[in-house]
Amino acid sequence: MAEADKTINNPDVSIPEEFALRDEVRWLKSEDIRLFRLLRESMNKIEPAYVATYPPSECGIATFTRDVVTSVAKYTPFSRPTVVAIRREHEIEPYERIVRFQIFKQNRDSYLDAARFLNDSEVDIVSVQHEYGIYGGEDGEYVLDLLEALEKPAVVTLHTVLQKPSPNQKRIVQEMVRLCEVAIVMVRVGRQILLDVYGVDPGKVTVIPHGVPNVHRVSAQSVKRSLGLADRAIISTFGLINRGKGIEYVIQAMPAILKKHPNAVYLVLGATHPGVRSYEGESYRNMLTETISRLGIGQSVRFNNRFLALDELVRYLCATDVYVTPYVNKDQIVSGTLAYALGCGKAIVSTPYLYAEEVLADGRGILVDFNSPDSIAESIIRILDDPKLKESLESAAYRYGRRAAWFNVAVDYLGLFHKVLNRRRLAQQLAAIKT
Amino acid sequence: MEMDLGIEVRKNGKITVIQLAGELDAYTAARFKEVMVDAIEDGGENLIVSMADVEYIDSSGLGALVGGLKRVSERRGKIVILRAQPQVRKVFEITGLERVFPLFDDEDEAVAALQGGS
Repeated sequence: MAEADKTINNPDVSIPEEFALRDEVRWLKSEDIRLFRLLRESMNKIEPAYVATYPPSECGIATFTRDVVTSVAKYTPFSRPTVVAIRREHEIEPYERIVRFQIFKQNRDSYLDAARFLNDSEVDIVSVQHEYGIYGGEDGEYVLDLLEALEKPAVVTLHTVLQKPSPNQKRIVQEMVRLCEVAIVMVRVGRQILLDVYGVDPGKVTVIPHGVPNVHRVSAQSVKRSLGLADRAIISTFGLINRGKGIEYVIQAMPAILKKHPNAVYLVLGATHPGVRSYEGESYRNMLTETISRLGIGQSVRFNNRFLALDELVRYLCATDVYVTPYVNKDQIVSGTLAYALGCGKAIVSTPYLYAEEVLADGRGILVDFNSPDSIAESIIRILDDPKLKESLESAAYRYGRRAAWFNVAVDYLGLFHKVLNRRRLAQQLAAIKT
Repeated sequence: MEMDLGIEVRKNGKITVIQLAGELDAYTAARFKEVMVDAIEDGGENLIVSMADVEYIDSSGLGALVGGLKRVSERRGKIVILRAQPQVRKVFEITGLERVFPLFDDEDEAVAALQGGS
């Protein structure tokens, strides 16, 4: 099979910089000190810290964290955000300066050191990103050490909410919610599971959607030309590759799709997940390439085996006719890649894992059976055959994606941070009155 | 890329009203700023920016407003926001910029505030 273009450069679909408020304020400092002071005195102040993995670590949570941090910072030109990054001991990560403290994943003491660092800092509120695998200890339980020692208010964003957790996994989530002021999930079904399975206080759970890049709709045709894929019907899947992605089922669907649409091409965009690569190498990808060879569809499937930069990713998404998340795990409660596809206003075909089931409801996408090449082929052909259906799916996805644009999600996070701080101040004032 | 922002400029007495419809974000903020600067250079030192039909605003939109404020304040003018919708209002409230760009729901009140210099 061919390798998708290594680099692409088309200014038509680049995402514009959005740092204008910070830029204007910085400029005022030298040009109009009176107005600069007025803004400094008038604007709300907040000093958030974020505990999570962080780029250049190649992981979905790291990307998510950077997006939250930068999006919130755009509204707070007088604040200095702090990141406490989780990293493996043996890795050297050339972090940006915003990473002011590092936790060594398997070193339990460093979680307490991080709590001390945050307690002694100017930080007002701590936003913790949670996925079991990013923290050390059994099921990542060391994160509890940090939260127990933390004296600053914290909120936790749960990237995994298992419907059937082990007793230890359940305990960790329950403890995190107890120790934090608020738990954030990205879909309503996540909130319901927290209430039903984990028995958490409903007042402590809020829903904030997964953010998506601010991408205005663009003609797929013009972008296809820039990718050297003019006149092809583009089907794509992106993200860190691992067995849970179910990519083999789309590959198996391709012969049926090609019968009806010989110009179809399936783009698999993204590197093998570094964690997966460390224990099984490229065996999943090799299995995929063997399947492609066996089916004789090498000209109709392309891989781009790299972690894609945002602009490049968006360009591929803009060129896409049908985006597919053929994931095999029903419990998956969030998918950044699906969120991005919604944000770009794509016609989407997906298996009905929990996140997809909710965000693709009401005509925003087509759900197909798990592990079913036939069901995938049928839905993709339906979309490629019917421009009206395609347009309707794209419009509905785009409308949903606009509300979830990072600049809106940042306002949700910032609003939550202020709410938590105001509540805490009020509680402290009441306590002071009582004494 | 689609440019999802409609801009209309009209006069209410000596005050310039810039009426926006759509999204004021990284794609559209520069065009809004140009229109605002033109209006100021045409003598509109007091501006009402009507956001009744603005669905979303991002930090670029806020930055454009701050840039406009710099220019009008050189002429002792002001900028106020008219009929901000809930999501837009939330942005002004959460950032604290409502203290810099007062929010009004009634155009007459906005005009009176600008004319009174309050």
